Amino acid sequence: MAAVRETIEQVKDIDVDQYKYGFSTDIETVKAPKGLDEDIIRFISAKKDEPEWMLEWRLDAYERWQSMQEPEWARVHYPKIDFQDLYYYAAPKSAEKLKSLDEVDPELLATYEKLGIPLSEQKMLAGVEGAGPLAGAPGVAVDAIFDSVSVVTTFKEELAKAGVIFCPISEAIKEHPELVKKYLGSVVPKSDNFYSALNSAVFSDGSFVYIPEGVRCPMELSTYFRINESQTGQFERTLIVAEKGSYVSYLEGCTAPMRDENQLHAAVVELVALEDAEIKYSTVQNWYPGDADGKGGIYNFVTKRGDCRGDNSKISWTQVETGSAITWKYPSCILRGDNSQGEFYSIAISNGYQQVDSGTKMIHLGKNTSSRIISKGISAGRSNNTYRGLVSAHRKATNSRNFTQCDSLLIGNDCGAHTVPYIEAKNSTASFEHEATTSKISDDQMFYCMARGLNEEEAVALIVNGFVRDVLQQLPMEFMAETQKLIGISLEGSVG
Amino acid sequence: MNIMTDRKTTAAEDALVERFDGVASSLPGANVDWVRKMRETAMAQFKALGLPDRRVEQWKYSDLRAKMREAHETRVESDAISESDIYDVLGVDLDEMLSYRLVVADGVFDKELSNIDGAEGKFEVTSLAETLNDPPAWFEEKFGKVNPQKNEAVLALNTAFMSDGVVIRVADGAELDRPVHLIMVTGSTKPGLVTTRNFVHVGEGAKLTLMESFSARRTPDMQRNCVTEMVVGDNAVVEHVKYQNEGRMAIHVASWLTELGQGADYNAFEFAIGGAMARHQNFLRFNGEHASAALSGAMMLWDNQHVDATTVVNHDAPNCQSRELFKCVLDDKSRGVVQGKVIVAKEAQKTDGHQMARSLMLSETAEFDSKPELEIYADDVLCGHGTTSGELDENLLFYLMARGIPEKKATALLVNAFIDEAIENVRNETIREAFLLRSADWLGEARG
Repeated sequence: MAAVRETIEQVKDIDVDQYKYGFSTDIETVKAPKGLDEDIIRFISAKKDEPEWMLEWRLDAYERWQSMQEPEWARVHYPKIDFQDLYYYAAPKSAEKLKSLDEVDPELLATYEKLGIPLSEQKMLAGVEGAGPLAGAPGVAVDAIFDSVSVVTTFKEELAKAGVIFCPISEAIKEHPELVKKYLGSVVPKSDNFYSALNSAVFSDGSFVYIPEGVRCPMELSTYFRINESQTGQFERTLIVAEKGSYVSYLEGCTAPMRDENQLHAAVVELVALEDAEIKYSTVQNWYPGDADGKGGIYNFVTKRGDCRGDNSKISWTQVETGSAITWKYPSCILRGDNSQGEFYSIAISNGYQQVDSGTKMIHLGKNTSSRIISKGISAGRSNNTYRGLVSAHRKATNSRNFTQCDSLLIGNDCGAHTVPYIEAKNSTASFEHEATTSKISDDQMFYCMARGLNEEEAVALIVNGFVRDVLQQLPMEFMAETQKLIGISLEGSVG
Repeated sequence: MNIMTDRKTTAAEDALVERFDGVASSLPGANVDWVRKMRETAMAQFKALGLPDRRVEQWKYSDLRAKMREAHETRVESDAISESDIYDVLGVDLDEMLSYRLVVADGVFDKELSNIDGAEGKFEVTSLAETLNDPPAWFEEKFGKVNPQKNEAVLALNTAFMSDGVVIRVADGAELDRPVHLIMVTGSTKPGLVTTRNFVHVGEGAKLTLMESFSARRTPDMQRNCVTEMVVGDNAVVEHVKYQNEGRMAIHVASWLTELGQGADYNAFEFAIGGAMARHQNFLRFNGEHASAALSGAMMLWDNQHVDATTVVNHDAPNCQSRELFKCVLDDKSRGVVQGKVIVAKEAQKTDGHQMARSLMLSETAEFDSKPELEIYADDVLCGHGTTSGELDENLLFYLMARGIPEKKATALLVNAFIDEAIENVRNETIREAFLLRSADWLGEARG
């Protein structure tokens, strides 16, 4: 098997150095001093000009965080993080007091341009071709978050016409305090886990979305996260509230420069779907995964949870995970309303020394609730890829249904693929089905493709894309093609 | 949550630690250095770990610490057990089964009740207590080292307190004409903690069917911790069956530690219908190529029984095959737990491993928890798992009832059709037929 040996050699030589977004931008920043204590929290709060209640909320979270321990149950290994050796706040100097796009630092605009995210509304309407994972598709409103702050949010006016609120969460705290107070922390409580408590204490920005009753959001909403500064952590917080009968599709993307150090990204995302509402949340996660020796890369410790609070509501998570040195992420659905639906579609690709521990939780509380989990894990190089999921039906969740399928594909024999599903049925009328398979690309499949004139790399790409097709189809149209390309890049060098 | 709490020892934990100091000097092997040290190390480990609770990942669904409120006396006062007692707990078919019979009564190997006539040249049996007091070199080399598990408190506890059991050595190439039936029965009228350990060595190319039966004659609330270590030689064929029909209030924890040689064929089956809280742990390791193993089980539970089947299969050698099938029928407030873990090492290419767990819930208050895990480090493997859970199919019930079969009978038919698929995995015909009869009985008077 010369081809296999060649593959292994190539994996060792090239693998993750393919990262396209590894540049850093030289821009003047304002930083808080290193470390974390109450003063830093007061500093962040003051910087954001927050009301008193918000500061109290943060301090309470901080106090809880101090009594908590870092979770160790995930199948990921990394040196202990020194939480006092991080900058908790970094913002481009020019990012303050922005009125319009014209005032944005041209350096910043150039950065986003380079990432393929044109922020200028005109350009976007003209449909500028981009190359990034979130290439500027026409009619997408973008909230661009640079280190700790949101630098610009596009299409705000147009959205306002439909009654949709789409703004940085720091702005929402000031302008829509009643909404924020009502929903913030209602899905992911402050002390839910170690990282959510940390996030609650120090989160600096993020997006806030509110869709009023009966409104179908006129365009895709999207947030683009960029970590630029070194030694900083990014702690953003996203809150999406869909009122009765509304619909929104939201997409997030993320990249970071290539650095030798590990940077922490601990976000919290909360979704609330009320009666008959539907939220579709898609993520294309492409943080810097570290270099070929596993040096550097982002630690992505994220808490994402959706609450189907109203009857007949629906929350759908779609994620494409290709980046980060370590991913620790379980987008979940609490199916509280009767007849509510939860969906989770995931593609997790790991290469190099990446470690992925990701999955979902579907918690069936209401009657006739249904959920569907499709997870595709691909491990290559020396990476480890774990699917960890929980499906549970409580006593009152009569006639709940779940279907889970998690498939893993191994490329090369230095990697690992693991599945850790938990299935808990406390109700006899609940019907759960779970299937999992692990395999490699078979020689037969390869032979078939290559006999038809494809070279080895094309053949693998074709098979892999076929493998993840179920999930790809769930992505918004505009991003499907990009994601397909991204999968190609992530696996480049790891396959023949 | 992740908030730290100081762990306080429970009354049961304290009692166990205290009792060990009292009985250590009188336990078998106390005068043999390595045995004594082995027990002391195990006790130290238990002290550090305590009884497993739900914070211990492998015990998440079976909180032994909470269930075992007190630890009974480890010195069980034995009331004489008679032939008819054994007949009572096993029933006619199993009692009259043509077998080599080994009886461990109240934690002590009973030579009088045992019968291994005709074993000469095929296999030898000694009591564990005797062997520990005067261990031969081969025993010292292997004992306690078969597929060892780290940080398993119940195994440590077993090593610390093991009072007796059997040591079976099957000669190379020996083909046993009938099953070896190991009957673990308690007859004491006082509750006690019975800790036994068996050690089985199956020679190359030998054939063995070993059945372990567990029953309580008089006391419903015995506590039992038993371990069987088994080395299966190259190309040996072994069927290892368990019948668990403990008392209604009993706590039963059993662990099988097994290693398979090259080309070995191992078939394990557990039929569990007894106990208030029972857990069977099957730790299996493939040491040689081209071996195959099937682990399966049937659990039929009612009232508030809690029964757990946990398997950990280590594929350490290439070209091996493992199959798992567990089925649970759950009625009333019972809870069935099926956890399976398949670990494929980097060297174990061409591994073929499958797990399946299915539950049938007959009442709204029953609970089924399942955790089928895969941990894979080799790329050329075929592994999969599946879990299903649900209630009786009304369409099927309707179909039968429309043909004049009363509801109760129709239900019984469907339940049996469901559970018998697992029981069919038992190769020995006598045992299989006995289990099929038990399962058919289960909805009726068997709930004594």
